[in-house]
Amino acid sequence: MGLFAELRDSISRVSASLFADDSEPKRIGIYGPPNAGKTTLANRIARDWTGDAVGPESHIPHETRRARRKENVEIKRDGKTVNIDIVDTPGVTTKVDYSEFLEHDMEKDEAVRRSREATEGVAEAMHWLREDVDGVIYVLDSTEDPFTQVNTMLIGIIESRDLPVLILANKTDLEGSNIQRVSNAFPQHETIPLSALEGENMDEVYEKIAEYFG
Amino acid sequence: MPHQCTNCGHVFADGSKEMLSGCPDCGGNKFQYHPGDVAESEPADPPADADADSPELPEREGGSVAGAVGRAANKVRDAVTSDPDPAARTTGDDADTTDTASTAGAADTSAADSPSATDTSGTADASSSPDVEADPSAPETEASEAVDESDPSSPDAPETGGAPSGDEPAEGIDASTETGDEDAAQADARSSVVDKDSLPDAPSDGRVVKEPDDPEDRPDLDDLRQELNDQFESIRIVAPGQYELNLMELYDRQEYIIALQEDGQYVIEVPDAWETDDE
Repeated sequence: MGLFAELRDSISRVSASLFADDSEPKRIGIYGPPNAGKTTLANRIARDWTGDAVGPESHIPHETRRARRKENVEIKRDGKTVNIDIVDTPGVTTKVDYSEFLEHDMEKDEAVRRSREATEGVAEAMHWLREDVDGVIYVLDSTEDPFTQVNTMLIGIIESRDLPVLILANKTDLEGSNIQRVSNAFPQHETIPLSALEGENMDEVYEKIAEYFG
Repeated sequence: MPHQCTNCGHVFADGSKEMLSGCPDCGGNKFQYHPGDVAESEPADPPADADADSPELPEREGGSVAGAVGRAANKVRDAVTSDPDPAARTTGDDADTTDTASTAGAADTSAADSPSATDTSGTADASSSPDVEADPSAPETEASEAVDESDPSSPDAPETGGAPSGDEPAEGIDASTETGDEDAAQADARSSVVDKDSLPDAPSDGRVVKEPDDPEDRPDLDDLRQELNDQFESIRIVAPGQYELNLMELYDRQEYIIALQEDGQYVIEVPDAWETDDE
């Protein structure tokens, strides 16, 4: 009973209580390696349901270096409404090297700074994964090999925490996209192909979001 | 080798967990690691010892008190067979004194005082027992001051930790083997580092110093760094702008550490800072 009262209190403290439904919006972290299209996906979801964007997108890795949140994204599917907070996280990696930014016409000083911020961003993303996430949308670039240390480790952590996870095989618009390879890598989870950039197959993505995180 | 609050300069003892809940002075969450300031670290060590002691208290308390009471009872029985009342009294006092002394982490005081307590009780003076009580209470307050201020007499703790094992083997084992080992190890580490500093000063002004100093110091720093890497490192700075991240460490640890390659300095970020920043 005490727990229930506590829960009710914590819910009433959140602004989400303004909405009719009595459940706190689930905080869904968008995770994945750098340049998988996490921000593009976050922006698409946010634009589709709230009209705003989450953050700038870029071809240069580690464009997102701080976790960005879009709160109270209401997704309607089959008469059902799902209320989620979207957290767009920095791409997780085990190595950050400023020299890879130099290829993108960046001065060394700026590249080093970006590198440091990206590193802090990864630490922050891992922190959020530990503390603040109720579910995960794991975004992979389907043109890349999904069998990486980072992917295996993150999926492992997510599984160990029993978080609901959706695996998205992004960039299906690109040549060399291999969805089967992604679903083979993580057969224990459902893999949904999409192009966040082109908006392909977003209906299925929303359907699964409603199903997994509703 | 203390950590220092980057905000107000508060220095924490090596191994102190105090800073994990933020700086007690200013509430800061960023701490700097100073491999060089050995001299400052000395006074800061005893509180760390005391901290380490307190969780082990129940075990040691039981052992030392039981041992002291048992021994005191025997001695009193031998010496004063005629008068049962002071015997009961002094044993009770002994239990108290050893108790408080061991709480303060000064195992020696309990070891040294309890025999003296039994000796005085042997004379069966009623007035002597308050004295016995007064004696250990003094070291206790000293030690607790050390905990609070993190300043004074660090050599006392290791010395007293080592001494009783020779004098009173039974009680030494009961009361202070675990902490005694830690103290001895820390004392060794400290004294060896201090020796290097003091050696050059003692023989001559600067001649002999520099040549042996560098090759000797280097491996120590490297060893230290390697050990830190193994134990703590979640983010390794390979070079400016180049980082290696230990994702499991980042995930497992509440705080994360950024280590520098050159001088062993690093910065710790306690995650509270993010939460307050973000929310």
